[in-house]
Amino acid sequence: MKSNLKHDSAIRHVSGQSVYVNDLQLSPMQLIGRVVYSPLAHARIKSIDYTEALNLKGVETILTFQDIPGANQMGPVVHDEPCLAEYEVFFVGQAIALIAAENEEVAVEAERLIRFDFEELDATLTLKDAIKKNLLIAPQRSIANGDADEALKNAPFSFEGELETGAQEHWYLETQSALAIPGEGREMLIHASSQNPAETQAIVAEVLGVSKNEIDVEVKRMGGAFGGKETQANHVAAWAALLANATRKPVLIHLFRDDDQKITGKRHRFLSKYSIGFNEIGKILAYKVELNSDAGSSTDLSMAILERALFHAENAYFIPDISIIGRAYKTNLPSNTAFRGFGGPQGMAVIENAIDRIARFLKKDAAEVRNLNFYGLESENQTPYGKLVEHNRLYVLFDRLTACSDYFTRRKEIDHFNNENKYRKRGIAMTPVKFGISFTTAFLNQAGALVNIYKDGTIQVNHGGTEMGQGLHAKMLGVAATEMGISPEFIKISATNTSKVPNTSATAASSGSDLNGMAIKNAIAVLKNRLKKIAMDLLEKKGLQDVESCDIEFAENQVFDLLRPEVKIPFPELINSAYLSQVSLSATGYYKTPGIYYDKEAGKGNPFYYFAYGMAVSEVEADVLTGEYKLLRTDILHDVGDSLNEDIDIGQIEGGFIQGVGWCTTEEIKWDNKGRLLTHSPDTYKIPTVNDIPHTLNVDLLRDYPNEGTIRKSKAVGEPPLMLAFSVWLAIKDAISAVGGHRVEPLFSLPATAEVVLTSIEEIKTKLKGLNND
Amino acid sequence: MKKTGNSIRFLLNDSLTEIDFTQNPGLKPTTTVLNYLRSMPFYKGVKEGCAEGDCGACTVVIAEKSGDRLVYKSIDSCLVFLPMLHGKQLLTVEHLADGEALHPVQKAMVDQNGSQCGYCTPGIVMSLFGLSKNHRDPSMEVVKDALTGNLCRCTGYRPIVDAAHVCCKGEDHDKFSENKDEVSGKLDELCRDKTPLSIISHQQRYLKPLTLTDALAFRKEFPSAVIVSGATDVALRQTKKKEFLPEMLDISDIAELKYFKEDNHTYSIGSGLHIEDLRHHADGKLPAMKHMLDIFGSLQIRNLATIGGNIGSASPIGDTLPLLIAYKASIKLQSHKNERFSSIEDFITGYRSIDLFPDELITEVQIPIPAIGRIIKSYKVSRRKDLDISTVSGGFSLLTENGTIKEIILAFGGMAAQPIRAFKTENFLTGKPWTEAVIVEAMEILFKEFKPWSDARAEVGYRNLVARNLLLKFYEESKGQVL
Repeated sequence: MKSNLKHDSAIRHVSGQSVYVNDLQLSPMQLIGRVVYSPLAHARIKSIDYTEALNLKGVETILTFQDIPGANQMGPVVHDEPCLAEYEVFFVGQAIALIAAENEEVAVEAERLIRFDFEELDATLTLKDAIKKNLLIAPQRSIANGDADEALKNAPFSFEGELETGAQEHWYLETQSALAIPGEGREMLIHASSQNPAETQAIVAEVLGVSKNEIDVEVKRMGGAFGGKETQANHVAAWAALLANATRKPVLIHLFRDDDQKITGKRHRFLSKYSIGFNEIGKILAYKVELNSDAGSSTDLSMAILERALFHAENAYFIPDISIIGRAYKTNLPSNTAFRGFGGPQGMAVIENAIDRIARFLKKDAAEVRNLNFYGLESENQTPYGKLVEHNRLYVLFDRLTACSDYFTRRKEIDHFNNENKYRKRGIAMTPVKFGISFTTAFLNQAGALVNIYKDGTIQVNHGGTEMGQGLHAKMLGVAATEMGISPEFIKISATNTSKVPNTSATAASSGSDLNGMAIKNAIAVLKNRLKKIAMDLLEKKGLQDVESCDIEFAENQVFDLLRPEVKIPFPELINSAYLSQVSLSATGYYKTPGIYYDKEAGKGNPFYYFAYGMAVSEVEADVLTGEYKLLRTDILHDVGDSLNEDIDIGQIEGGFIQGVGWCTTEEIKWDNKGRLLTHSPDTYKIPTVNDIPHTLNVDLLRDYPNEGTIRKSKAVGEPPLMLAFSVWLAIKDAISAVGGHRVEPLFSLPATAEVVLTSIEEIKTKLKGLNND
Repeated sequence: MKKTGNSIRFLLNDSLTEIDFTQNPGLKPTTTVLNYLRSMPFYKGVKEGCAEGDCGACTVVIAEKSGDRLVYKSIDSCLVFLPMLHGKQLLTVEHLADGEALHPVQKAMVDQNGSQCGYCTPGIVMSLFGLSKNHRDPSMEVVKDALTGNLCRCTGYRPIVDAAHVCCKGEDHDKFSENKDEVSGKLDELCRDKTPLSIISHQQRYLKPLTLTDALAFRKEFPSAVIVSGATDVALRQTKKKEFLPEMLDISDIAELKYFKEDNHTYSIGSGLHIEDLRHHADGKLPAMKHMLDIFGSLQIRNLATIGGNIGSASPIGDTLPLLIAYKASIKLQSHKNERFSSIEDFITGYRSIDLFPDELITEVQIPIPAIGRIIKSYKVSRRKDLDISTVSGGFSLLTENGTIKEIILAFGGMAAQPIRAFKTENFLTGKPWTEAVIVEAMEILFKEFKPWSDARAEVGYRNLVARNLLLKFYEESKGQVL
């Protein structure tokens, strides 16, 4: 049964009935929480005076670190992130104090009345500066195979390069929010907008100094997350919990957009250096790359993100001699965090740009050079970290996509267009994605589910995954319905709640369906086993003799003997009978991904269960005089195994791609020389609008390539499509390059804003004058 | 002058609603429509995404009378003060469905998988509702224009665009088309009384005249009141800067100021004309203006913003200003006893400052109808094409005679503290032939003529390059049109 269920909340979304944390007004006592944060990038706090603020009518409490009953700590992995600053602040946006007030206006007014006395200290605000000062946040990581230095020396051609990739703001439409409701004694209920309720529970318990069993965290849905609510949603939850604990009243924190952008971390910006060696046909022989990331002021997930950058540094290409080094540096900026792709995009961008350079250098078509270097089907199929690339879909994707996008014909047409037009230039690029699926931290690859059947035969499915728009619940509904043989309308997926399914991992790493789907399947298998005995009794009562347990089938809201399907028992009747026979109608399911391990020291292991693949061709047209460009056409072919839900998968592919396009094009983040974010609202931070999508967008799934060993042979889809946007990024570069007749390598970085494009074009024009004068 | 008390009256969906601010501790005159709706338990469908009109999550639709017609406009509710609803119908996402039956717009969004996280969805649904009321079988351009003001971070927009095409197919038939006459009648009733509003509550004075005479009288009596004409700029002082606005003079709803007229020489535009209406009038008449207004903010912004407001805020990056300079526009300024005209260049005196006397209001913009042969073009270069503020903008005008430049105006936005002309470059060009060689020389002068700044949008170097290159672009686009 191919499920194409709609998003389970779709009808409520369109009628304004879907509830987000900020919509909850559960008690007339409910207060508004406000976070008071540092205006300086690095400073000693000499004094804080909030007497006047506290006396303001409507202010209930003001807290600083001294009022934290538990640990002043909210770092998810390394405990290096205070919940509220103590005597020193380390970035603009770091929380120092919390206000609880009757309403927002009072809270804002109270904030104005708080007096701080700071002593400003030196700050590190750029990655270059941090590298110069060697401010490593943790020891470097490396992966190597063969001897890259030696191979570089022996390669017929080689060059060096540097690439900057920028930060990216998540820009979830729903800013960070949490509602904390104190209960009896030490109990606290948190309505969170968190990708990781179990960790939210842990952090809240830690700051309140209570055990985890006192804290319940519930996540109904998020208004977008994209990694931004994997760890940093814990922060608002902890702050709200502290205020609720202090006032004994419910406290809601919903960050104002500008505050959210200033306070929270972003996609890590990287400054990468590389050397690449290749031969005359463009075969890569050696690659040495240093991936340097800006971790911000604390560790957060920076090391796992860096690790994923390392794992994807070679993307889809077999490189015999390779050395990959990763370093994360500490700066005085908000701690950077997870963002769709989780370091993968930053690692891949470098090799994709390098291959583009090779093609230009050899005057070859870049897509052909890519094809030449793809991992082999039988040989040349081992990754630098030792995992074999199996079930390689690169060639089938390449063949089908170059055909359906008419890549080679259009390449010629574009060359023709560029010869005819002086002030408009077109560019085209094809880029692949090979993305490893699993948490690279092996123990996180586990999930649980709780399936309850009620006496009327309806079912509630609880699982550890959270719904952030990706359609996980709709997919899980499809899985539960298929496994149980019940129509979806009799099944409800509940809000994610730590009291239903404990100790879950974040809904992240694209793994939500893989892990939770299997856990649900396992829970249902337990229930079906229990119910089969009852079914056999019932069928025998209805006159069937010698019914075998293995022949019992659950389908179409009924249960029957596969060999004698004419006698059927309606599911509600079965359930009622089971209840009366004292059979438990509730079961948990558990799943762990088999065989995942990784040795960090050796840089070897099997960090992924499988790879997801995709490929895109994009064409752009640039205005040579302003640097502006438009996206003419994109063709995408993506591998999701046997899709769990085609509509939802296509939605993930398109949405991920456009989000990647934003990162590659208009989404530039700037700070001033004091570490203050300049692009702190949508006024200056520009995510794509409807007019920024390609004029023609063809997206298709690679069909008939099932993925063995996963839930219904599907593949994860959340992150990989984001990196398809490199086709747009490099098409822009191709258009710039056309200004110089592809004779000059363009200056390039990411995002390729109109400013970058025009600057690069001007530089090419200057160089061309030099070439012509020689 | 007769003034009414402290109440406003409007239709909230189907219900006649009266708000007496003095009786409502939670609602002050400048409470935004967004915050008003969200203060009630059953109207939380509308969402705040940015509180600055840049995301559209708070989109609602206003129905109002325009002559005999009932018109529907999508707007950003975060930028609208409550008294701006007076005499109108406010339509929210909760009201679209007919009982259990989804509105065609909502059904299309479900069928086409138009929602993922759902947070932007109510705003998008309202934009689509506005679209479906104004256009049947719209072109792709019209669809995208209706959605430009709604950011979605999940879907990549394609399914929403598909939904738009589906729900706008064929005849418009829904409960709103059925109840049109009834609503129309109710609104006529509400609008009959032209007595100005003078609300004094919550330490605020909010004046809302409905005639020009009353507006000018208020202006004289309360010269320090902030003038509101659309509020898309003024509202940000409250929503973003958390500024307290003690006195407001809201001239957004003065019907006398909403016109576009032409005689043999001049287009006369009422200062209260909404940018969206001006965009339609400009079509075919003022192509450079049309071009600029096509990428002015978003539909939600253009439905609120007025030409007078854009001029009055005198921003260095105001979209229409360089172009108005190129058009040699003049501004009509009226007080209760006088009227005078000022050229747009004289009128803007510096960074967000204008030559407006304390008792005056901008009432009209006059654009001389360009002579045959005069070439006028507008340019806006921004980080993102739509719903963005210009990095550099240009309004250029050229008059040639036998291939020689008789007059050229090169006005720029984003290059100085106010819209500014490139006089040096203009002087160099005047009297010279309109040829590439001359332009190339002029470009180097232009490159050094301004001292712009680096900011969140761009660095100095880029601004200078763009300003310089826009001249070449103007030359390229004018080739073949020059006499």
